[in-house]
Amino acid sequence: MANIKEIKERINSISDTKKITNAMYLISSTKLRKARKLLGDTEPFFYATKDMIERLVTNLPEGVKNVFLESKEEIPEEKKRRGYIVFTDDKGLAGSYNHNVIRAVEERLLEDKGNYKLYVIGEVGRYHFISRNMPVDQFFMFTSANPTLHRARKISAEIVNDYQERTIDEFYICYTAMKGGTCETRFEKLLPLDFITQLHKETMEDQSFYRDEFLMEPSPSAILDNIVPNYITGFIYGALVEAFCSVQHSRMQAMDSANKNAEMMMESLKRSYNRQRQAMITQEITEVVSGAKALKRSKEAKMKAMKRQEVKR
Amino acid sequence: MSEQNIKTFHLQVMSVNGTFYDDDALEIIVPCEDGEMAILYGHEEMILAIYDGILKIKKPDGEWLIGVVSIGSLQVTTDNRCIVIVNTVENPKDIDKRRAQEAYEFAMEHLQQQQSIKEFKKSQAGLARALTRLKAASRYQE
Repeated sequence: MANIKEIKERINSISDTKKITNAMYLISSTKLRKARKLLGDTEPFFYATKDMIERLVTNLPEGVKNVFLESKEEIPEEKKRRGYIVFTDDKGLAGSYNHNVIRAVEERLLEDKGNYKLYVIGEVGRYHFISRNMPVDQFFMFTSANPTLHRARKISAEIVNDYQERTIDEFYICYTAMKGGTCETRFEKLLPLDFITQLHKETMEDQSFYRDEFLMEPSPSAILDNIVPNYITGFIYGALVEAFCSVQHSRMQAMDSANKNAEMMMESLKRSYNRQRQAMITQEITEVVSGAKALKRSKEAKMKAMKRQEVKR
Repeated sequence: MSEQNIKTFHLQVMSVNGTFYDDDALEIIVPCEDGEMAILYGHEEMILAIYDGILKIKKPDGEWLIGVVSIGSLQVTTDNRCIVIVNTVENPKDIDKRRAQEAYEFAMEHLQQQQSIKEFKKSQAGLARALTRLKAASRYQE
């Protein structure tokens, strides 16, 4: 059994750790609330943009060529160059959050043929993929802490640029989103935008389809070039905020269970501390009492001896 | 003012940050690729691409509202509604002049260095943005 001083030190260190985990819990919960509000603000923009794109695409005149209208279906699966945007966190301490995202991407990579390139957000994921010698875009350096619109714009500019220059044929996005009270890893196709290519195909094939004719300045293609990146920015921003919310939520849960564990450990340690203390006290009392008794006995023995001597005289 | 210019249409200006303007308006002037374009009540249906520049909205009381915008698009529908969706929109009053100046110098410096086409385009766009913001800030900030 450990001695009493060791137990005392252990209790102190656990209660210090608990203070930290508790603080992290509180910080995460305020951050989560803030991020939630941010996400709500973007919704009207997102839907309005989608509506406008749909309106534009359904009424496109014939013969418009734009990279965003291509479905890339003609490229064989083995030759497709895919880009995966992976949202991880900069730190651990969030339960299985990072692990889930990384595993989802790796599973997907096994299925998909063709070339690929990873666009990783967050230090944990980047470290993981680089250490396994996977093709990670070296210039794509973004953190996941405190999602800002500015960062979403930069990310979407990088992605749209690679797409327009045709270095990547398809973009997929892997992030974690909150669903009810749990986090869910999502894997979605970002580019080419399925709803655009679908609509474009339908309206082009249907000869009887009536198109509204209206002004498109300076050209339909230029408008697409302006509006689709905005949509992508909105999407990326949404994913950034969702991922941020999820990581805070995961961290809250991890810290909550850490708090509970710390409490349980402290309870059992306190019990053994008290037991030890009691044992020590009992022992001390026994020692004192038996010492006193021994002393008393020796005194009595001495007295008896003295008495005997006196009698002899 | 003449009689014909008092009719209003519904105008919505929004960016990812939220809604900038959502009310009736008399007129809106937007920056296009080859100059500015003003839209009044009863405009024909159209979709327009907007580039970096200054957006002006004439409110029903005749006052002008200014915003600095970056790329986006504008849609006029037949029911006299106008929706403007842009990447960013900000009030010139909120622009930090010193930061805009720094961004301008940074972009200028970068343009003079040798760089790839991708980087060149990026710094060019950055320069355009910094210039508009600077211009708007010095003109409308008082």
